[in-house]
Amino acid sequence: MSTGLELLIHSFPNALWTGIIISAIGALFGVFVVLRRVVFIGVALSELAACGVAGALWLHVPPLLGAGLLTMGGAALLSMPTGENRIPRDALLGSIFVGAAGLSVFFVLRSAYGLEEVKSLLYGDLILVTIQDVYIMLALLVPAALTLVVFLRPITHVFLDREMSMVMKIAARKWELVFFLLLGLVVAVASKIVGAMLMFCYLAVPSTAALLLSRRLSRVLIIATSSAAFCTLAGLIVSASIDTPTNPTICVSSVFFLAAVAGLTFLRNLWRKKQNEH
Amino acid sequence: MENPIIELSNVEFSYDKQVVLSDVSLQIRRGAFLPFVGPNGAGKTTLLRVILGLLKPSRGIVKTPFESKSPGYVTQLKTIDPIFPVTIRQIIEMGLYPELGLWHRPSPAQNSMIDGIMSRFSLLEHQHKTYGELSGGMKQKTILARALVGRPEVVVMDEPTSELDEKAESDFLNFLASLSHDEGLTVLIAHHGMDQAATLAEGLCVVNRGRVSIEAGKKPNGNHEPCACCHCQSHESRGEQNEHRP
Repeated sequence: MSTGLELLIHSFPNALWTGIIISAIGALFGVFVVLRRVVFIGVALSELAACGVAGALWLHVPPLLGAGLLTMGGAALLSMPTGENRIPRDALLGSIFVGAAGLSVFFVLRSAYGLEEVKSLLYGDLILVTIQDVYIMLALLVPAALTLVVFLRPITHVFLDREMSMVMKIAARKWELVFFLLLGLVVAVASKIVGAMLMFCYLAVPSTAALLLSRRLSRVLIIATSSAAFCTLAGLIVSASIDTPTNPTICVSSVFFLAAVAGLTFLRNLWRKKQNEH
Repeated sequence: MENPIIELSNVEFSYDKQVVLSDVSLQIRRGAFLPFVGPNGAGKTTLLRVILGLLKPSRGIVKTPFESKSPGYVTQLKTIDPIFPVTIRQIIEMGLYPELGLWHRPSPAQNSMIDGIMSRFSLLEHQHKTYGELSGGMKQKTILARALVGRPEVVVMDEPTSELDEKAESDFLNFLASLSHDEGLTVLIAHHGMDQAATLAEGLCVVNRGRVSIEAGKKPNGNHEPCACCHCQSHESRGEQNEHRP
């Protein structure tokens, strides 16, 4: 195992530090995505990011610009409250996913790039992270995460009880838009750097495990970010040690972690129930 | 009515093309306990949301003191998602949000206010529980404590008893009526049970098909004069004083 870690530190330092930072930021946003019950927004936004990259290649503009514009536009659209009895948000997310996936293929076919080249741009891989990706991450993702932390209270209040927030003079629409634009930015950049599947994993899995482990928001945020970083490190070490693909290995290690937490939670609840019966 | 705390003049509200409130004029006295009753879909909740400023009327004027002092708002229990990992103390703290400082952290004095209201509702020993861990009655107390912690002049409640059993509902309504009577709080409550609300109030605001009328409650006002808790002008009663007597 130490060989794997040494290999990472010496040969893939960008992947190591980028993986740890992006996983923590993804999990931080993921807590709110799960609490808002819009987990599949992660898939839809990731696909929009890929579509933006493909569109940018076709139009010969920087891929990150295409990904950012399309994803943040989609996030702004999805931040709008849907009518209670009209369109379910899931249906909207599904439609965006399918539309973006179809358009991506269309753009790729029209672009002058080779399939493998386009694939690597559309679906990033953590192990292939460059120093340029590290700079982009530090310039865009870290400020996005800090913004969320600074404005945690109003955003939490709006997500907890929108109407009461408005009565308390919190600009609910503004804070929802801020959150979803930040989320769009994070998903666009992170999907481009580490890949859509891994980004979706960071949004959904560590936050779910953290919500099982604690009932305090501050602790949930700490557990989600630290467990995401831990699973990334574990996945990277396993991947380097036994030569498996990096992104799927991290996803599997995250899901194993979630399964272990769920199992322990189940056993703890069972034990408490028995204690109460006695 | 002199110096009403809330005044609506010729208010109309529509969802798309469906008129929900039609030419509503209403004055509410400071310290009134006023139930808004009527069948489902009559427009009770819409009227309260217009008063709160959550909905903008398509026509008419709404005058409230809410710019200077936020009202207390008691939402339905299901509004808060039980998976949310916040303690009931944090939920109650939300009621002080407009008064919190730059970092939105309560000062020692505000923490004392939170302790005080939790103690009043016997919530202090449960302060570290989350909303999902509470019974229906405790949830109700939490939401009410959040509404009252900022010491508002007006408390607005949207069907707050819809998930309580009959006894708990009766106790809750009695408590609200006493808040209005003893502490001079103006209480506006959307409620489904007309008879139950009538026994506690001097007057009832009956909302039906978007129109509003005032009916007499069964609670005596002591001076055997027409109820002065509110005054209403609608299509049918424009220009007439309330004639209901206890």
